[in-house]
Amino acid sequence: MKCKKAERLLSRSLDGFLEPEEEKMLDEHMENCLNCQTKTKEYHIILDALKQKKILEPQPYFWERLQPKLEERKKFEPWMRWKWFSIRAIPLCSALLLVFAVVIAFFLPSKSEEMSQTETLLLRNLNPLQETRTLLEEERIEDKNIMLIFTALEEKNEIRRYFP
Amino acid sequence: MKEKELVKASKEGDEEAFSILVKNYQKKVFNMAYSLTRDPQVADDLAQEVFIKAYFALPRFKLRSEFGTWIYRIAVNHIKDYLRKKKKMREISLDDVEKKLISEDKELFLQERELIEKQKMKIVDKLIHELPEKHQIILTLRDIQGFSYEEISRILNISQGTVDSRLFRARRMLRYKLIPFLKKKGGNYEMQKS
Repeated sequence: MKCKKAERLLSRSLDGFLEPEEEKMLDEHMENCLNCQTKTKEYHIILDALKQKKILEPQPYFWERLQPKLEERKKFEPWMRWKWFSIRAIPLCSALLLVFAVVIAFFLPSKSEEMSQTETLLLRNLNPLQETRTLLEEERIEDKNIMLIFTALEEKNEIRRYFP
Repeated sequence: MKEKELVKASKEGDEEAFSILVKNYQKKVFNMAYSLTRDPQVADDLAQEVFIKAYFALPRFKLRSEFGTWIYRIAVNHIKDYLRKKKKMREISLDDVEKKLISEDKELFLQERELIEKQKMKIVDKLIHELPEKHQIILTLRDIQGFSYEEISRILNISQGTVDSRLFRARRMLRYKLIPFLKKKGGNYEMQKS
């Protein structure tokens, strides 16, 4: 086993998390490695020093000092919540708008995709006005027929007026 | 009253129940803040802020984890925020701090022969504070406060494997920093004897 791995196992052994097999390997390495023996001593010095660190007490009347702060904060809580929300609302709304715009742009059918009837006729080398002309002519014939009907009716009415 | 009942009552606005929770955890939260800031006044203020934050976050606490784990998570995050802000402020007056650190170093080396308990703690304290923030936190949680790997993984929201490797790196870094003090004449393992 190399010293690097031994150091890693050593760190775990300080917490007592070594498997029996790993412990055996570490012990074997330690017997023959002076460098790692020194490291072990150094780690023990560090851990002892850390464990000896005094547990300090906070300043007296911790709760008594905390209570008025809580009361004070309660007054501002609705405002704080609104502030918290508004700070987050601006980027959130911008992001939502952006997503909405992207969705609309993606799903809206583009005009260029479909050709108009005129364009199709022009592509087929046909006169687009040809169709219109026939339609107009058809309309004209219809108009003429209607006019004839009306004049015929008018004539009938006149006969009735003068010869009751 | 059991802790869960106290938490439930606090969630419903019972201040007396919350005061009991505060009393149960104030010492640990304060010591965590103190280990990372080395200033009792700042640590006290931070501990108070942690409990204020916790009080207003209680309605969102789902009781899935233990209250202790939850409060330590709030504490770690709050202290981290404070240290980050402090670091930014420190960058502004970097020269003054550097001078101070150099003088502290000289002082520490001069007092090698008087490596009594107090100085030993001072050196270790100082060296811990030279470590990166995440290593300081893991050393504080494991080697000073004595949390288990599982608890640390829940507080820091990292896997137990990460706890293991981060702790190893932190200890190794601290050892490297401590070697000059140990190997100096009179300083070598005197710390252990004293």
